[in-house]
Amino acid sequence: MSTKEKLISHVMKEEPVGSRNKVTVVGVGMVGMASAVSILLKDLCDELAMVDVMEDKLKGEVMDLQHGSLFLKTKIVGDKDYSVTANSKVVVVTAGARQQEGESRLNLVQRNVNIFKFIIPNIVKYSPNCILMVVSNPVDILTYVAWKLSGFPRHRVIGSGTNLDSARFRHLIGEKLHLHPSSCHAWIVGEHGDSSVPVWSGVNVAGVSLQGLNPQMGTEGDGENWKAIHKEVVDGAYEVIKLKGYTSWAIGMSVADLVESIIKNMHKVHPVSTLVQGMHGVKDEVFLSVPCVLGNSGLTDVIHMTLKAEEEKQVQKSAETLWGVQKELIL
Amino acid sequence: MRQGNLKSAIMSSVLQKLISPLASTPAEPPRNKVTVVGVGQVGMACAISILLRDLCDELALVDVMKDRLKGEMMDLQHGSLFLKTSKIVADTDYAVTANSRLVVVTAGVRQQEGESRLNLVQRNVNVFKSIIPQIVKYSPNCTLVVVSNPVDVLTYVTWKLSGLPKHRVIGSGTNLDSARFRFLMAERLGIHASSFNGWVLGEHGDTSVPVWSGANVAGVNLQKLNPEIGTDDDSEQWKATHKAVVDSAYEVIKLKGYTNWAIGLSVADLTESIIKNMSRVHPVSTMVKDMYGIGEEVFLSLPCVLNSSGVGSVINMTLTDAEVGQLRNSADTLWGIQKDLKDV
Repeated sequence: MSTKEKLISHVMKEEPVGSRNKVTVVGVGMVGMASAVSILLKDLCDELAMVDVMEDKLKGEVMDLQHGSLFLKTKIVGDKDYSVTANSKVVVVTAGARQQEGESRLNLVQRNVNIFKFIIPNIVKYSPNCILMVVSNPVDILTYVAWKLSGFPRHRVIGSGTNLDSARFRHLIGEKLHLHPSSCHAWIVGEHGDSSVPVWSGVNVAGVSLQGLNPQMGTEGDGENWKAIHKEVVDGAYEVIKLKGYTSWAIGMSVADLVESIIKNMHKVHPVSTLVQGMHGVKDEVFLSVPCVLGNSGLTDVIHMTLKAEEEKQVQKSAETLWGVQKELIL
Repeated sequence: MRQGNLKSAIMSSVLQKLISPLASTPAEPPRNKVTVVGVGQVGMACAISILLRDLCDELALVDVMKDRLKGEMMDLQHGSLFLKTSKIVADTDYAVTANSRLVVVTAGVRQQEGESRLNLVQRNVNVFKSIIPQIVKYSPNCTLVVVSNPVDVLTYVTWKLSGLPKHRVIGSGTNLDSARFRFLMAERLGIHASSFNGWVLGEHGDTSVPVWSGANVAGVNLQKLNPEIGTDDDSEQWKATHKAVVDSAYEVIKLKGYTNWAIGLSVADLTESIIKNMSRVHPVSTMVKDMYGIGEEVFLSLPCVLNSSGVGSVINMTLTDAEVGQLRNSADTLWGIQKDLKDV
């Protein structure tokens, strides 16, 4: 008898059930790994699968995480072959090229579309009922691409969108008011990128509208120059990239925040990228961030924002820019 | 690295209308501040693990690389909505580390592919000479956790350079080796790492000592079930599992260029015991002179009780003669290097 047999008697006659809350992260770059470690440290899933094309890097990252198993509550697996991702509840796609210093997100498009043509069908093959979360940039366009390539209904294809922009916004507002960001309510919607829309009318603390205290807030004429805070959000990513080469921690935590709402069926509202055709005067099939309800079925509902005319125009303009790029894509 | 005065001035009108201050006392100093020295892959993995486990009310980062340091700080701050550590600061000036309860030292150069930990020594001693006195200057009551390799030698160096009592200078030691050991052994048995109890002691590195006599699951001693366990005669070759632990770091480095997640998680584990005054037992590197017949001032990993004083006490292991012999050999090897170090 082996030591194991002397120690342990197996008493269950059936096949083991396996995991019930599996999450896959596609891409073991800086964003993928930050997302993975945030998900692991928040105990969100019972199994985490990692996939990538770079075999050695993938194996090394999986081993490094597994060596921390004593401190975690999740089974960690990884392989180049997508069969390792089978039966995932949520698949987070971080794969693709990232912005170089000074490069805009839109520049990355065609490179990342080609990568998605390989990835998305593989995900769908092994987890036909999963919820797809797209993080790779330009996220709004790539969420559209993932939607088209997967054939999934729109409620199961979500872009991480302006969840991060809003987090940065709330952090900056919190710094100014000496409050924790979670007590500063503020929404950035629209494109995750240079033309994102800060909804000034909604910014509040304890229900007190800040624009009510300062009606010029967000305009050029504002003596307090609140508009600069939004500019700092837009510039935020570029600045971090310039200083450390890439961003990872904030987006990783924001991804875990979204995965948590989905896995725990919280029905929490997040600004994420979804199909906005027919809303806010948008006519084309584009994905932009609006406040959405997330649960274990995916993105089930959208909150109707009351936007000012100027804000609606900005959303429509983003939609036009994105459609301009999308219609040239070869899918 | 705070924002300029302009912004604070321009926001004051809304701030004044919105909020009525009640207490005009100065800001409270932090109660559970942690500093991480070094914002390389290991330092940042320690930082994110500590943040996501809600272990401190203030986190300070220090490094010599100014831009990278600022970028890492900003990236963490941008996630503050999702965290409960209200203050994340960073500077090349050690003043930013003042009043830390715990300082984690990850700075230094790392092993290259195929390079042994012992080869790094003198390079890292010189780095530590610029770091340790600064830390102690600003946080004279802190506990120091040394992670940089070769960790046992550098913990000794840190102890010498800091002038702190030995119970407040700890090396991350074999906390990670033991975690890897428990994972790999548990995998073979089909159970979770936390259900496999096994200790790897001594040197964090090639000559670490797996204490087979203590290995157990639910109190059932594995060596009693298999008296050959850990020996070359063992048909099941359990010894190979310990070898895999020793080889782990080299393998991960070969595959991805460095290791960071496991060490980060293991440091957060130690941080938790110290900050929360838990008195949990961890295998960490401590001063072992006069134990097990060791005559020199070397640091090796033994099971230590960690709490807010640092190393509260050390567990007296019942080791076999062979295991004691291995510890003595490690001590000799380490002393062989330490005695030749300059300026310590």
